Amino acid sequence: MFHRVKRSVAALACLAMAASPALADQVEITTATGKANVTVTPKNLVVFDIGAVDNLNALGVQPAGVVNKMYVDYLDGVQSNAEVIGTLFEPDFEAINALEPELIIVGGRSSKQAKPLAELAPTIDMTPSASEVSQTLLAHLEAYGKVFNKQKEAAELSSKYNELLNEVKAAVKGKGKALFVLTNGPKVSVFGPGSRFGWFHDELEIEPAMAEVAVASHGEAVSFEYIQKANPDWLLVMDRATAIGSDAENARQVLDNELVTSTTAWKKGQVIYLDPAATYIAQGGYQATTRIFEQLIEAFNK
Amino acid sequence: MKNIGVAIVALFALCCFSLFVGVQEVSITDWWQESQNTDLFLISRIPRTLAVVLTGASLAVSGAVMQMLARNNFVEPSSVGTAQSAALGILLVTLLYPASPLIVKMIVAAATAMIGMAVFLAMISRLPVTSPLLVPLVGLIFAGIVEALTVFIAFQTDMLQFQGTWMSGEFSGILRGRYELLWLCGGLAILTYVVADQFTIIGMGKDASINLGLNYKQVVILGLFILALSTSLIVVTVGMIPFVGLVVPNIARRMMGDNLRASLPWVAVLGALLVLTCDLIGRLVHFPYEIPVGTVLGVIGSFVFLYLLYARPAHAR
Repeated sequence: MFHRVKRSVAALACLAMAASPALADQVEITTATGKANVTVTPKNLVVFDIGAVDNLNALGVQPAGVVNKMYVDYLDGVQSNAEVIGTLFEPDFEAINALEPELIIVGGRSSKQAKPLAELAPTIDMTPSASEVSQTLLAHLEAYGKVFNKQKEAAELSSKYNELLNEVKAAVKGKGKALFVLTNGPKVSVFGPGSRFGWFHDELEIEPAMAEVAVASHGEAVSFEYIQKANPDWLLVMDRATAIGSDAENARQVLDNELVTSTTAWKKGQVIYLDPAATYIAQGGYQATTRIFEQLIEAFNK
Repeated sequence: MKNIGVAIVALFALCCFSLFVGVQEVSITDWWQESQNTDLFLISRIPRTLAVVLTGASLAVSGAVMQMLARNNFVEPSSVGTAQSAALGILLVTLLYPASPLIVKMIVAAATAMIGMAVFLAMISRLPVTSPLLVPLVGLIFAGIVEALTVFIAFQTDMLQFQGTWMSGEFSGILRGRYELLWLCGGLAILTYVVADQFTIIGMGKDASINLGLNYKQVVILGLFILALSTSLIVVTVGMIPFVGLVVPNIARRMMGDNLRASLPWVAVLGALLVLTCDLIGRLVHFPYEIPVGTVLGVIGSFVFLYLLYARPAHAR
């Protein structure tokens, strides 16, 4: 029974994809699930990924529908000019249907909704890669440039991105080892190379304080003793509670204890509280990533 | 194995072991020589071990009292909605008065926990005494409803991640200055021991206790107060920890019978032993990272609970 439903959903998705080429010009782009043909300059775009909204905003594209809360201040303008089409996890199918979109973009947290959404309109999955952040970001910019006829803008953003990336690498070089810490209420977990936030080490070439942190997308829960033992020169702190809009217990309060304050990072004032919205919410977005770059350049060059 | 002394020695030995388990290396031979090590013990190791022992003992004692008040051996505060009500209270006070100090959050949590427990006791007083399994079932459903309400509010206000920190207990964040409220739980456990006989009588039922000259209402309210306060203290400090209050009093009852005064020391020591063992497992299996104590207990507790259900002692009631 279940298989039949699945199959018919897939069939519908194929039909939806197949029905559109006759209507307008198409370009082929690479998505997270492979190559896809997309109508050029689609009307009433619906976007379920904050990183994608960020990228489109950087290119000057306004979606017709976005999710209810984005928690990213620089995208407030996008929010107020678009319809609400549900949350990242629960699309509002009625509202989407009413918009009659020609393209739906999902990614990351919303990628599970790709199949049901494909019944309404062509849907592409633009989940950013956790291991090759720069590569997917630049590829996405290029793809959006092709789809929305903004090739020139995309190329400009790309070269600006590469400039900043080199600047970050130069800034962090030889400045010591860093530990990436995520705080959630009173608890802390760490992320190492190869993990969800591993690109700080892998791509920006920041030396890790603990090379052997196991690869786990949600990080590894640790005690404060772990941070003391790692004794990093730099602490990269991401406050999850702040990222999702609660100021319940901020990271500084949680980390301000006798074990963490004895680390080199704390003593030298080298604790960087990363912009939580840019790091956690709008992952894979051009503006988010360059914001982090600018924050790191400023902190490491101090 | 009826000598409480043996159990206390075992607990003490495990505590000493616990002091030497941690990410920082401390060698047993020269740990007192370096001031750095002494600091580590005072800041991190001793507080964590104490917090675990206090939590374990107090969870088990709360379970024992709850079982007397509800006259049912298969209930405990975190399975019948008390802990969930406390979490709901914390969420509400965090939403409405985010800047309020910990003590205010705790008082609100204790108040909501007490309301939740009173509702549960009122519901089960209407159940037929002939079907004792209905009581834990009603409790589970009630706990589910309260938790659903909490999750709904947290979902609507985008507090789900935050609320998750109360729903799953662990000790990784425990340091000097971040666990001291738990001493109050220890105090409440001692208070429970002082009035243990009266709770034993409550366990015989309302009519029997009134016939025996007990001020029934007063003792029930005292029990509710002890339970609500210690449950909310634990939820505020370390989060919800399942199963301890359920399995430990049942094991102690098998060994010592229904007399709470005789079994309470066992309840406390076994509770502390169980939680400390689970916390040590959580600290060691994935070293240097941690697994929440609630997860370890969930696994171990389920097996012990199944054992209790199926392996009835020869002289079972």
